[in-house]
Amino acid sequence: MKNNKKYWKGLAQLENNSNIEKLAQNEFAEELPIDEFLSNDLSATSTSRRDFLKFLGFSTAAATLASCETPIVKSIPYVVKPDEIIPGVANYYATTIYDGRDYASVLVKNREGRPIKIENNKTCTNARVQASVLSLYDSSRLQEPLSKGLDTSWGDVDQTIKDKLSSIRDKKIVLLTGTILSPSIFSLIKDFSLRYKNVEHIMYDAVPYDGILDANEISFGSRSIPSYYFDKASIIVSFGADFIGNWLNNDYSTDYINGRNPKNGKMSKHYQIETNLSLTGSNADKRIPIKPSEQKVLLSDLYRSLSKGSNPSDSRLNEIIKKLRENTQKSIVVCDSNDYKTQLIVNNINSILENYNKTISISKPSHFRKGKTSDVNKLIQEMKSGKIGALITYLANPSYNLENANEFNAALSNVDLTVSTSSYNDESSVLMDFVCPTHHNLESWGDAHPSYNTYTLMQPTIAPLFNTRQFEESLLNWMDKSDYHAYLSDFWKNREVNWEKAVHDGYFSINDPLNDVKDIAPLDSSILSANNSVDDTIELAIYEKIGIGDGVQANNPWLQEFPDPISRACWDNYMTISASTAAKLNLKNWNVSNGALNGSLVDIANKDVIIKNVPVMIQPGQANNTVGLSLGYGRKNAGKAANNVGFNAFPLLNADTISIKNVEGEHEFASIQLHHTMMGRDIVKETVLADYIKNPSSGNKRVTYPTFKGVLPADELSLYDEQDLKNGHFWNLSIDLTACTGCGECVISCQAENNIPVVGKEEVRKSRDMHWMRIDRYYSSEMTKEIADQNDISSIDMYKQMEEPADNPEVVFQPVMCQHCNNAPCENVCPVAATTHSDEGLNQMTYNRCVGTRYCANNCPYKVRRFNWFQYSDNDKFDFNMNDDYGKMVLNPDVVVRSRGVIEKCSMCIQKIQQIKLTAKNEGRPILDEEAQTVCASSCSTNAIVFGDANNPESKVSKLKKDERAYDLLDHLNVNPSVFYQTKVRNKS
Amino acid sequence: MHKESKIRDPLILGNKTYHDITKDIAKPVEGKANKYWWILFSLSVVLMLWGFICMAYTIGTGIGTWGLNKTIDWAWDITNFVWWIGIGHAGTLISAVLLLFRQKWRMAINRSAEAMTIFGVAQAALFPLIHMGRPWLAYFVFPIPNQFGSLWVNFNSPLLWDVFAISTYFSVSCVFWYIGLIPDFAMLRDRMDKNIAPMKKKLYALMAFGWSGRAKHWQRFEEVSLVLAGLATPLVFSVHSIVSMDFATSIIPGWHTTIFPPYFVLGALFSGFAMVETLLIIMRKVVNMEAYITIKHIEYMNVIILFTGSLVGVAYITELFMAWYSGVEFEQYAFLNRATGPYWWAYASMMTCNVVIPQLYWIYKIRTSFVATFILSIFVNIGMWFERFVIIVTSLHRDFLPSSWGMFSPSFIDIGIFLGTIGFFFVLFLLYSRAFPVVAQAEIKSILKSSGSEYKK
Amino acid sequence: MKEKIIHAIFNDEQDVLTAVKALKDNDVNVNEVFSPFPIHGLDPILGLKETRMAITAFIYGCIGLTFGALLIYYIMISGEGKSWPMNIGGKPNQTFYHNLPSFVPIIFECTVLFAAHLMSITYLFRNKLYPGSSSTSPDPRTTDDKFLVEVLYNKNKDQILQLLKKSNVSEINEKDED
Repeated sequence: MKNNKKYWKGLAQLENNSNIEKLAQNEFAEELPIDEFLSNDLSATSTSRRDFLKFLGFSTAAATLASCETPIVKSIPYVVKPDEIIPGVANYYATTIYDGRDYASVLVKNREGRPIKIENNKTCTNARVQASVLSLYDSSRLQEPLSKGLDTSWGDVDQTIKDKLSSIRDKKIVLLTGTILSPSIFSLIKDFSLRYKNVEHIMYDAVPYDGILDANEISFGSRSIPSYYFDKASIIVSFGADFIGNWLNNDYSTDYINGRNPKNGKMSKHYQIETNLSLTGSNADKRIPIKPSEQKVLLSDLYRSLSKGSNPSDSRLNEIIKKLRENTQKSIVVCDSNDYKTQLIVNNINSILENYNKTISISKPSHFRKGKTSDVNKLIQEMKSGKIGALITYLANPSYNLENANEFNAALSNVDLTVSTSSYNDESSVLMDFVCPTHHNLESWGDAHPSYNTYTLMQPTIAPLFNTRQFEESLLNWMDKSDYHAYLSDFWKNREVNWEKAVHDGYFSINDPLNDVKDIAPLDSSILSANNSVDDTIELAIYEKIGIGDGVQANNPWLQEFPDPISRACWDNYMTISASTAAKLNLKNWNVSNGALNGSLVDIANKDVIIKNVPVMIQPGQANNTVGLSLGYGRKNAGKAANNVGFNAFPLLNADTISIKNVEGEHEFASIQLHHTMMGRDIVKETVLADYIKNPSSGNKRVTYPTFKGVLPADELSLYDEQDLKNGHFWNLSIDLTACTGCGECVISCQAENNIPVVGKEEVRKSRDMHWMRIDRYYSSEMTKEIADQNDISSIDMYKQMEEPADNPEVVFQPVMCQHCNNAPCENVCPVAATTHSDEGLNQMTYNRCVGTRYCANNCPYKVRRFNWFQYSDNDKFDFNMNDDYGKMVLNPDVVVRSRGVIEKCSMCIQKIQQIKLTAKNEGRPILDEEAQTVCASSCSTNAIVFGDANNPESKVSKLKKDERAYDLLDHLNVNPSVFYQTKVRNKS
Repeated sequence: MHKESKIRDPLILGNKTYHDITKDIAKPVEGKANKYWWILFSLSVVLMLWGFICMAYTIGTGIGTWGLNKTIDWAWDITNFVWWIGIGHAGTLISAVLLLFRQKWRMAINRSAEAMTIFGVAQAALFPLIHMGRPWLAYFVFPIPNQFGSLWVNFNSPLLWDVFAISTYFSVSCVFWYIGLIPDFAMLRDRMDKNIAPMKKKLYALMAFGWSGRAKHWQRFEEVSLVLAGLATPLVFSVHSIVSMDFATSIIPGWHTTIFPPYFVLGALFSGFAMVETLLIIMRKVVNMEAYITIKHIEYMNVIILFTGSLVGVAYITELFMAWYSGVEFEQYAFLNRATGPYWWAYASMMTCNVVIPQLYWIYKIRTSFVATFILSIFVNIGMWFERFVIIVTSLHRDFLPSSWGMFSPSFIDIGIFLGTIGFFFVLFLLYSRAFPVVAQAEIKSILKSSGSEYKK
Repeated sequence: MKEKIIHAIFNDEQDVLTAVKALKDNDVNVNEVFSPFPIHGLDPILGLKETRMAITAFIYGCIGLTFGALLIYYIMISGEGKSWPMNIGGKPNQTFYHNLPSFVPIIFECTVLFAAHLMSITYLFRNKLYPGSSSTSPDPRTTDDKFLVEVLYNKNKDQILQLLKKSNVSEINEKDED
């Protein structure tokens, strides 16, 4: 129906007033002056109060909305999932680590294509090898090839290098490398020398072993390192050779400890005659501190009396001589001297003792050290005189670690083409024309021939992170070839090696021909030195620290923060000196108000070499009138972690004496152990072999209390019924203090597995180190309770004197991590039940629940709980691997990164236990013994740490728990730990 | 009604009538503040703000801003906590225990002492909160039904006992205090002139809860005060016993001691009375209460300080004896180290301030001098702070394994927070002294006839 | 028949006592006494019954004790314990009495907490004291120094006045109840 009614809103419309119509059309009565408002000059605008309020309202709302945006987490899923990768399940690849200093055949744990942990593969590793996985993710590695210090492309670099190489006519092309273990590289270099004219290959070791090599050449006509079998020796006499720590290829500790098992009564006796207190010296049964100049004298003395059957003129040797005579064919004499004459004496001593082919084998050599320093010096002369056309370096940083680096650097300018293949823009690289950065081991293919019959392979465990290329590939490119992988596989296939299997296992063996050696050349007695009197000039002994070694991995924050097993200091090198000598020179160490250690500074000089402001560390066991300096520090172009930490001691490599000048100022050390003696407490229980054989439980005396039930030890006195731990698993850890050498490999291994942050020097100085396990080191003291009783010394004086370590102390190492007490003091005091006990005997920490009262840490008798004082990840104040996109790739996805304000501690690698439990469950079988492992146990080269289920009567750990040597730390507290120790047995009278 | 011997010294000086008392007590509230008050107040405000800044910085950055380390995880934070809690105790003792013992002299001071308790405990309560690594999760310590898979608290933990003890102590003290305040607020309400100070009148009317002083109300009032006193008495002893159990139930040598509960309670009263004296001697000047807070009151308190101080001394010696007698080398070393170790100076100052100096109170002249008392009370406060420092730090810094022995030195944040709480405390107390009836006038009036000086004639 | 009121104001609590006693003896209805502080000895004369505040406190205390005990039992022993036994520091976690020693402090605190607070609340309720309620005292000076006796009567006014005068009253205000 047609509707002709008109509805109007208001009179104005009825009168159809024209501007009402207009108003009806546009929504806003007047134009909003937005542009005007947004123009910079507000005062000029005509913005009304109401508009302003509108904008205000709008902008507030907008801001609020904007702030609601959730943070974006970058995660890229697999587009096509690789068959071998199951997210959450680790793959293991066998490969080889060799950085020119440290060698190990290893298994690499990969998670989602990222190597995150290194396990040893039937060889022993060390702290540096364990840490090398972090070096892979070092963002200060070169990411592009450099030409004159500027990024460039591989194409250009190769072209120029090839042109220059081919243009070289009468000059030499020199490959300056560290010791090369790889047969394929040798053959590559052969090809290379065919391709280009007069190519020369020079090898040198940062820490040279010319002495021993030359000596063997003279004695046996073979310039090689013999194999030592420390497990076969019953007498070990080491003149300064730190074979447990850094001497030669540092894989001797396994053998050494196998030869020192008191259980079967077969325990070698170890004499260490050395200057600095080394790791080896601190494990020795008898240690004699000597000045370096005495070394040759004593050896000559030893040689004379052994050859003549006379008594030594130096009474300190009497016992040694006696033992050596009793144990012909069952002894080893080693020496760290780099002087071939001294080493000749050693060779002859060993041959008199008929040790060759018994405990030492020169016919089955080890290939670790081949360097020849004389060649390098010759090279420098030739460079000076412009005879060198091209210099290519590999596994070498001569500008840093040559004694005469300055000379080398100067001469470098006379070389037409200089190429570094270092993966860092290091001290040498910066001086070179071109840097062709090589891969990290974990990105490369390769092979190694460490010792007689043994071959290992290196395979990539991750695609190259940066635009780098491994040295071998570069060589091929410069020969207009490519594909080193094919080259390598063919190389070995041609030698009847089952390539697939070899790659899978990571090692294979080929029967090498025996090293043809002639009988030992008689000793020219003129080289023997007479007994001279010891004067008090200050002599110098150079050493390598366990953490940093010769400084190849100096930029690894884990290693920088790794406390030295002996001095317990990190982030530093320093001059070690004995207390009495320090007093004589008026040098001091002292603790400041927060306990941190400070030391005096000195300038040290030898001829024209002067090192300024060297911190002084007073070191018990250091021979009087000697000082020790460690290598590997004072890097200038290594990266942010290593630059300008400590000083470079390489210029003093062969210096024998130094002069010391006290200077103003003091140095701040970062030492994680401020107190060095056991204060007469029964912490590390000790016995000697003789007593142990008589009574296995000797030295393992327990505190007992007279009660109405009779005299009982603490753990049989309880007010209430204990919890039942007999059902299910009961995870226990046994630590054998006789087998533990204190090398600290487990510390780094634990740090890698459990995402333990690096906190930096300042925090460590405040004793806020975060390591979940530490290796306590105690020195013996002259003062004991017995002495105090006899000379009735008051207990105040007694304790005062007990704080002072002896001049030549006995040393004990004790790894301490959370003891997982079954009557845990920490659990009771937590108000929020953030730390509770699992029914498998583990003390568990619930980070999410922790409010951080730190009461548990106070109440822990072992002080193993660590508090997150700050946010250690993604915090620019802690600019280490956890604040670095690459560095974070090493984090273990199975372990949470702890937030600020919570307590953390050893979890006995519960993530690994859990994973094994699941596997076993899926396969419907019980867990085998030693299947579940903590990383400290699995990485321990001497099997000092054994982990397992104590409820399984067959398990190794349950047997160890019943052993007479087993004891709980601080057992009088009856906290009933799941971790227990085996008494330390020394082979001394 | 209550009669008192004429020989006893008067507790109220000058010829006061009921109305004079009313006037005197209303004066600080009605009148203007004098210059001492302003000086003290501004000083305290500055300290307080500085403290707040330090706390904010700590919460924003982490506990690492303090001087703590892996060996010594508690130091100034808990020292201050125990110190403040201890100070609180005198208040409750005066208002509760002395009430039960019918000590008339408490009436002049119990109001302020109780105020001190509440403000002191407030300071103490700050520390457990800010010493947490994650204070924003502090509510975890209350047994709240929750969505985290119903996680509950751990009733074995002394820290949880603290939570209950302190919250109970604080709230009960507040209630006790307020019940007593109601009639006095009523007095102020009725004095206020609607036309001159309408807001004030409204405010006090609100706070007076419409009190009108009926006979029945007074009857209940007295009963309730008595029962609250009866409840507060065991409470005050339990609170510091429980605080002491933070240490006594642990296994650290020097903490693990059964003597702690009585020892701590005594120490608390000791320091508490010292603080009461410090405050009252200031207050009687700042708000002119000379007539009510007399030298008699001070002397009585000095006697208590002398007594508790000596007992604390006995406790120290007992500790040493037990360490030696136990024959446990760790115990023995702990105490040897206290006296002769790196922190000997802390132990020495503790001994001097807490054991030696209070002995001066045997001398009548010192016991009855405001100046001397003021100085000595400061010494006692310092000494008691050191006692807690000694117990906490010197026990922790050298415990079982020498490898983890360490030392502690405070950061400027530690110091700032401590000063801040002192400032905060004085701010609260000074405000109180201007806004509240600082003397329980109703009670004072009830003893005027018996203890007023002119009635003694 | 409606009663009349006398407000007798005194300066001294002694006079109040004598006055009230005298009035009571002549069985006059003394309705209420307002005073600035409690007058000891007045309650029996006025014939006020013993207050029962203490008893309530005791009852509340018992409630608090039970509450504390049950809370802890539920949290530490039964509630979680049955489904998920928490092993804390190796302490026996299955029975209440084994763990009791460490539960005592909190049970005690709960007792005091309940007793003190609930009693105070009861006290305020019974006295009709709450923020915002206004004074019912006929004369504001009763919180200062005056004592006010409120007498209800409907006859023999003179006798009452006599008695009051005898015990020197300071002022007398009469007014009618309406």
